[in-house]
Parts: sequence; structure tokens; C-alpha cells
Amino acid sequence: MASQNPNPDPKRFEVSKGTLRLDTFMTHFIKVGGVGIILSVFAIFIFITIQVLPLFQSAKVEEAAVIDTGVTDFHIVGVDEWGELPFVVNLKDGSFTFIDIKREHEAKPVIGPRGIFTEHPKYAGKAEFTSALYHHKSEEVIFGTNDGRYTLVKVEYTPEFNARSERTIKAKLSADKFFPLGKGLGAVQAIDYYDADKDRLVAALVESDTGLQVRTTTFKRKKTPFGVGAWKPADEYNLTDQIQGKPSKVLVTGQGNGVLISTVEGTVYFFIIEKGEIGLRQKFQPFGEEGIGSMDWLLGNESLVFTSDKGENVIFAQYRPEPTEEQLASGEEVRRQFAEINSLPNLSGPADLYSHSMRNRAFLLASGPEASIRYGTTGSIRWQKTLGFTPKAGILGSRYETMMLADDAGSLHFFSIDDPHPEASFSAFFSKIWYEGQDEPKYLYQSSAADASTEPKFSMVPLIFGTFKGTLYAMIFAVPIALLAALYTSQFLKPEYKKVVKPTMEIMASLPSVVLGFLGALWLAPILDSRYPSVFLILFLLPLTAAAVGYVWGQLPQRYRIYLKPGQEFLVFIPLLLIVTIAGWELGPWVESKLCVYVDPTTGQEIADFRLWWPHTFLGGNYDQRNSMVIGFMMGFAVIPIIFTIAEDAMSNVPQFLTSASLALGASRWQTASRVVLPTASPGMFSAMMIGFGRAVGETMIVVMATGNTPIMDWNIFNGMRTLSANIAVEMPEAPKESTHYRILFFGALLLFLMTFLVNTVAEVARVRLRNRYKTVG
Amino acid sequence: MATVTATEPTLTEHTAPSPDPSYIQVKNFSFWYGSSQVIHDQTFSMPKQKVTAFIGPSGCGKSTLLRCFNRMNDLIDGIHHEGDITVGGESIFNPMLEVISLRKRVGMVFQKYNPFPKSIYENIVYSLRVAGRNKKSELDEVVERSLRNAALWDEVKDRLQDSALGLSGGQMQRLCIARAIANQPEILLMDEPCSALDPVATGKIEELIHQLKRQFTIVIVTHNMQQAARVSDRTAFFYLGKLIEYDETQKIFMNPEKPQTEDYVSGRFG
Ligand SMILES: Nc1ncnc2c1ncn2[C@@H]1O[C@H](COP(=O)(O)OP(=O)(O)OP(=O)(O)O)[C@@H](O)[C@H]1O
Ligand SMILES: [Mg+2]
Repeated sequence: MASQNPNPDPKRFEVSKGTLRLDTFMTHFIKVGGVGIILSVFAIFIFITIQVLPLFQSAKVEEAAVIDTGVTDFHIVGVDEWGELPFVVNLKDGSFTFIDIKREHEAKPVIGPRGIFTEHPKYAGKAEFTSALYHHKSEEVIFGTNDGRYTLVKVEYTPEFNARSERTIKAKLSADKFFPLGKGLGAVQAIDYYDADKDRLVAALVESDTGLQVRTTTFKRKKTPFGVGAWKPADEYNLTDQIQGKPSKVLVTGQGNGVLISTVEGTVYFFIIEKGEIGLRQKFQPFGEEGIGSMDWLLGNESLVFTSDKGENVIFAQYRPEPTEEQLASGEEVRRQFAEINSLPNLSGPADLYSHSMRNRAFLLASGPEASIRYGTTGSIRWQKTLGFTPKAGILGSRYETMMLADDAGSLHFFSIDDPHPEASFSAFFSKIWYEGQDEPKYLYQSSAADASTEPKFSMVPLIFGTFKGTLYAMIFAVPIALLAALYTSQFLKPEYKKVVKPTMEIMASLPSVVLGFLGALWLAPILDSRYPSVFLILFLLPLTAAAVGYVWGQLPQRYRIYLKPGQEFLVFIPLLLIVTIAGWELGPWVESKLCVYVDPTTGQEIADFRLWWPHTFLGGNYDQRNSMVIGFMMGFAVIPIIFTIAEDAMSNVPQFLTSASLALGASRWQTASRVVLPTASPGMFSAMMIGFGRAVGETMIVVMATGNTPIMDWNIFNGMRTLSANIAVEMPEAPKESTHYRILFFGALLLFLMTFLVNTVAEVARVRLRNRYKTVG
Repeated sequence: MATVTATEPTLTEHTAPSPDPSYIQVKNFSFWYGSSQVIHDQTFSMPKQKVTAFIGPSGCGKSTLLRCFNRMNDLIDGIHHEGDITVGGESIFNPMLEVISLRKRVGMVFQKYNPFPKSIYENIVYSLRVAGRNKKSELDEVVERSLRNAALWDEVKDRLQDSALGLSGGQMQRLCIARAIANQPEILLMDEPCSALDPVATGKIEELIHQLKRQFTIVIVTHNMQQAARVSDRTAFFYLGKLIEYDETQKIFMNPEKPQTEDYVSGRFG
């Protein structure tokens, strides 16, 4: 440039090329670095969100193929675990028509080499069947005959592999004998059964000369080391008289000790067999006056899915109600009853077709051409569609990956289901859910279920609660100590001591939290365990002594006070407070023996033990050794240095001209600190607290190690909590990649991310406001 | 510098005798920051209800000496002194004397205005509040009187509850003066109070000093010779930590004894 200029600048005004280049380079370097950091944070956010999003997607159900079976009278559709050899039952002759399906990966299912073939189980005699029911779990079909008998046909599926390890599914049918349900009975209209080792309960609606009868029959068999004997009829119960209206369906309960009968008029009768006697336990109307369209079990035979005549859809399950006054008085046992635990959106009419998944609480309902897959626990609709045909029978594949619907023209429609996370939804994460086996709707987190029939519970609320609980106790402990220490160090302590205190605190901040957690769990918790009265005594005595000594000191005449130079008071204070601490520690057991006396209700013995006394005195508050107090101390220990350092900086940075002005006006050091330093440093103190808060919210190792990690919702200081971060740390190893559990852990991470983001934003906004308010000249 | 001639006559106006010619006494006073001695064995006394000006080149220890009078130096690490300073016959270094009560008697206005980030009202009543005087009527009265004394009342009377930081620099400095005199100290120390102000504000503050010396004993540090000449009754000239000459202001400026003083006041070195 200089060469083009007619009057070149004198050399001394030129900027060296090197300086310019370095300047340009640094400008870009800083830009790239800054943008890079923002981008990578954003990328992490995006990544987590991508992991989480599938949780909120509904099911993708696609019709993959339509196969003509030639069977017109569909009554039952059954299928093997792999979805490769479905069958339909021809009720007229009790024959099974199998359809060989070839499923190749990514290809549409087609009819396989074996084609469509019909098999007749070897029935023990001639019979005409009038009703049948398929138990998907045991893969058995129960048939009722026109003369009041029943039989069971087992469909035994076995996979066989050839040399190229290709799979062929073989099915073997084995029919049992015919068993009578009673004497003088006609056609069986509806039937259900429950099988255990030695007991079997069959309930049926059977026609007779006197009209429709409700029959329950039990069978027993002997079991010896040499094998099992044949089923022998045991008890016979006729429930017809106890039922008003027209019975329409029978179900046997999951434990095989109860029978449910629904009537067309809309009432459900619930009978229980106890000690050989059958008794009516409960009578309820799921839809009030309205009639019942269908009644079926959900997986696990604990919850009942009802639809009404008008298509309303509710779920009932057993629970133990709160005992009434009378029951309490008489000491009568409260019995489990059915109650509505969930209600779902309406269907267009009563369900004609029902099937439930063998994996989870999903179920299929169809009413006319409308088919719907719903999830029982959360009450959400996974998929719903009005089909181009009216399904007559159908089944959800046991892996919840396929669905087969049969229309009345003899075609079987194959659907593929892609719904990896049916149990996840906003309501599952954030609202109270009435789970099976619970007595009321609750926020529960229990990611790993004991077995397939108990559902995992994924409420985020206990984890969020735990996060705040841990943080709260840590902050209660840390904030006063850290802020007061910062105030003392910056305003009162002599600078020469301050030079030691600050770096020490900064070293404390770098202590790995795993060490703190370890200390908390294995050292502090056992020590505190028997000494809580001492801890409380010390927490009470320390501030009291400090305040009292301070007051007395202030009242002393100057004559005595000159012996202690300002900024050196701690030389007297620390030994004094140590003495008080030791005294409190030693006095604790004595206080415990006086105050915390627990009277054993059975023996009447008096035990002076805080750990027993606490749960007894504060009802519902139980006691854990690894509790929130330990967390408060250890996590407090982790955040104190952070809060201290930042707050101390803020207070030391209060311009000296302000403190000088205050002191020159005759204010004492404390007045200067409280009236000038604290307000001016408040933005800094506030961000110190928020950064401490953020650290405590995200803190993991201390919480993992020093609490029991139980996801409870209880502010009680003497039990633990499970935080979002600890949850991720504890459960990540056991969550299979891309499973619901895995994604839910990511969801927890996302919540944590959002929470810290929110806290930081609020903190920043508040800090800026405070700063504008207390900004100083210059 | 029209103000120089305008206020010249006041020099002779205030010649009323002081009620106590040796109210503040500096006796063989030396002062060290760590190992460096800043004040060398000074001895002189200042009269009550008069204005004493400290002049001298930068770094000669004027501010240090001034801060000794209300013991603001106590805050600094590693200081020590020899000799004594008395106010009204009483040593300010007496260990039985509480620093707080000394500072209530000896107010101070700093070189750079330093209002608190509070309202104008709260700034002025600060010294009363820290003394535990919170009666509204009393505070109101003090605010008005101090602001009037500091010639600021008319400018701020409608916005007493506004932040003091919204005032102009000259107003803030007058506010600091009002704040310093609110609790009626006996002595007012001023360290270059006008160094950051324009001539108009400077003029106002000088006028103010004339008003204030009827009640207060004032010690002012200034680099402005005309200002020293205009406002003070006596002037002390320091050089390298030593008191070179101390006399009636008129004498120092018209007829100094020491050649260094003459050189300095006439602007030949500084
Ligand atoms: N806090 C301190 N610690 C150490 N030395 C100091 C301190 N304050 C001042 N000094 C030194 O003491 C000497 C006198 O300083 P002082 O501020 O009293 O000078 P001054 O006469 O007020 O100068 P000026 O006119 O520039 O304000 C200077 O050499 C200075 O470096
Ligand atoms: Mg100075």
C-alpha cells in the first residue's frame, strides 16, 4: 500500500508486518476457539436430544403383506415367537390351519415352502366345539364343547436349524382328554382357565335346561417323583344364582384363585376361592350404567382392560384401599379390590378384538374397521387407524414386532410394528402413575423390573427431587460457611494470613470428588452414625458461642481490647471454638440419653438411641446411615472452596475508595462490611452461590458413594436420595444400547443439562441486574 | 482564571483570630511505609477554625500526613511512626482512643469523589446511621443542612432518593463534602478536592471552604498555588518528606523565607 501512495508515510509510523500478522492470526484464532466451544456445547446438546427423541415417537405400523389363507371362519389367530408359523383355529372341527411364512430380512413376508396346511390334533373322542380361547403365554387353546366339556390343545413350537443354520419352526399339537364341567350341561359359550402345578381352575358360561349357567370347576392332580398323575375333578361351584343379568364373559385371575364375570348390563362380579369356599369379593360397574363391551387381561393378569358399549376404554387393577374407621376398629384385614387405574381415549365402539403384547403393557383393540394399539401404563395411544377391512381376529406378535389381523374374506394381514419405546411418554416421566400393585398413583423410578410381567417405572420426578434435595442440604451447609469465611478473609483477616488461606482453599477445590465420596461413605457416615446428637449440639453451640463472644468482646472497654490487634481475633477464636466443638462432641451422648429416648412398644424398654428415636418421633422419617446429612457435609465440602473463592474475589474487589469512605465516616469494620462491601459485592456473591449450586446439581461421585441411591421423595434429612447424575452413573453399565432404559438415562442427562442451563441463565440475569444496581463510580 | 482576581480580596477578609492557635500539633513526627521513610521529623501546629494548606511536589508525603490525622493509614500493612500528633491536646495514637471516635471527629474528603452506590439521601446520612441515629426528622434536617452547607441543596433537593451515581463529578464531590460534614466533625481533611473538577465547580468548592471554616478546622492538600493562596490562612510547604516552611499564607506567597519555597510557589520547579 505504501508504494501506491504518492506521499508514503514515514517509516517510523509503519506498523511491522509481523505485528499485523500476529494480530490477525490471534483475532481469528480466538474467534475460531470461541465459536468452536459454543458449537461443541451445542453439538453435545444436539447429540443428547437425538438420543432422547425416539422416546417420544409413536409406533410405526405398516402393512407388510396380505396372505390369502382360504380359511373363512376366523375365530382364533395364534402365532409363534418368531412370527413365522401362525395358525388359525377352525372352531367347527377343532382343526388348526398353519401358514408357513418366509420372512427374509428387510423383505416382505411371503408364503414359505410348506404353504398352508391343516392339522387335526388327536382328540380323545368326538366332540363339537362351541367356544375356544387362546392363551398366548402358555400357547394353549382351551375348547368348550356343546355338551358341557372342555379340552386343552397345546401348540408346541420348536425351532429347528439345518446345516446352513437356517431356521424352520416346527409345530406339534397335543390334545388333552375331555373333562366335564358338571352334569347335565349344554354348549359352552365362554371359557377360561388357569393352570398350576397341581391345580387347575376352569370357569365357563354354559347353557343348560334352566338357562345360562356360570360354572367354576377345580381340578387337581398328584405329583410324585415318578411323574404327574391325571387331572381329577375336585370342587364344582355354581355361581349362576349370585349373578343378576346376562353374563357375557368369564376370566380367571392370575393366581388361579378368583373368577371375574362380566354381564351385558355392565356389572363385573369378582369371586375369590378361599379354603374351598367361593365368595363374592367385589361387584363393580366400570362404566356405571353403561354396558361392558369387552373385558380382557393385560400382560401379567393383574390389570383388566375394559371397553364399554360406546367404546370407552379403561383399565382396572387390584389395590389395597385405605382401611375405613370400622375396619381399623375391628382389626379386620383390608382386602384387595379392583379400581380404575387409568382411562384411555374412546374407541368408536366396543372392542371386537383384543390381544396384548407378551413384552410390555401394550394391547391391541379393534372395533369395526378401527384398530388401535395402546399402552396400559401410560394410557397413551401408540397407533390408531381405520383399516380398509374389518378385522375378525388378530394377534400381537409376542415380541411386539408384528401384528396379524384376519379379515372376514379369509386373508391374513401382516403388519410390522416399530415401537421400541412404548412405555415412554411425557406422562410416564412427569405425572403420577398408578402402577399395578400400588395402592395409589405415584411418582416411581425403578428402571429394572424383577421379571417381564412387572413393568419398569420411569418417573423423572423422584430423580429431580433427589437432585434438589442433595443440592439443598449441601447448600444449607456450604453457603453460610463459605460466604462468612469469604467476608472474614477479605475484610477482617490480616493480609499476611489471607495469603495462606486463599491458596489453601483453592487446593481444597481441586480435591477429586471420588475421594470425598469415599471419605463420606466409609469414614464420615460411620462416625456420624452414632453421634448425631453431638453434631446437632455442635451446630447449635458454635454460632451461639461465636455470637456471644463477639458481643462480650464488643462490650469490653478499649483498655482490654488493645491486646488483640484487628485481624488477629482468630487466634483466640479458633481455640475457643475447638473447645466448644470437643465439648459438644463429648456432651452429645449425654444429651441423647436425656432427650432421644425411644420406648420399645413391645417390651416397654427404654433405649436412648437417636437412630431409633428419630423415625419414631418424626413419623415416616426413617433413618439411613448414608443420609442427606453426610451428603450435605461432603458435597458442602466440595462446593465451599468454589463459593469461597469467587465470593472472596468479589468482596476483595470492592473498590478501596468505598471502604475508605465508610471507615473515614466513623463506621466500624463490621458496619463497613455489611453496609458497603456486601451490597457492592452481592452480584459476585450471587454468582458464587449459583456456580456452587451448579456444581452441586451435577455432582456425581459423592452422591453415588455416600447415599443409598434410593429414588425416594422425602425431605427427611436422615435418608438418602438418588440424583439425576448419580442415576446415570449407577445405571449406565446395565442399560443396553438404544434400549428404552438407555434413552431414559440420556433423558436424565438432558434434564440435567437444561436445569444447569436454566440455573446459569437465571443467575446471569440476576447478576447483571444486581451489578447495575450496585455499580460504583470509576 | 478570572476567579483568581475575583476572590483575591477574601485573602485579607478572614483575619479573625483563631480560638486555639495550636489546635492540631505535629510533634517530631516521622512516618514509614515498611522501611521507606516518607515523613521526616516534622513539627508544627495548626490553628482552630482556620484553613491550612499543604503544598509541595508530588510524592513529598502530603497525603500521607493528612491520612495520619484520622489514622486512615492504619489499614496499610507494615507502617510505623515516631513522634506524636495531638488534636486539642490529646494524642491520636493513644491506644485507649477508639479509632472510630477519632474518625467521627476528623472527617475526610478524598481526592477522587467516592459516593456510595446508594441514594443521595443515604449517602449523607451514612455517618449518622452507623452511629445508630435513625430518627427520620433528624436525618431529614441533617440532609438539608449538609446539602445547603455544601451548596448542593438547590441542585438535588428534588431527587434525594435518586442514586448518587447519577450526579456530575463536581456535584458528587460536593456530595462527598456534604457527607463528610453531616455528622459535624471538628476537623475536615481535604486531599486535593478539586483536582478532578472544572473551574466552575472548583470555584463553588472554594467558596464552600470559606463558608465551612467558620465551623470547622480545615486542612487541604492542593497542587494549585492560586487555590492555596485563595482559600488558606496558613500554608505548609513540604519537600521530600520534610517541612520546609510553614507560615501565614500571605507570607509564603509574597515573601517566603526559603529559596526552595520561593522557587516552588513561583512555579520555577515542581
Ligand atoms: N500505601 C503505600 N505504601 C507504600 N508507599 C506509599 C504508600 N502510599 C504512598 N507511598 C509513598 O509515600 C510517598 C508519599 O506519598 P504521598 O501519597 O503521601 O505523596 P503526596 O505528597 O500526596 O503526592 P501527590 O501530590 O502526588 O498526591 C511516595 O513516595 C509514595 O510512593
Ligand atoms: Mg496525594
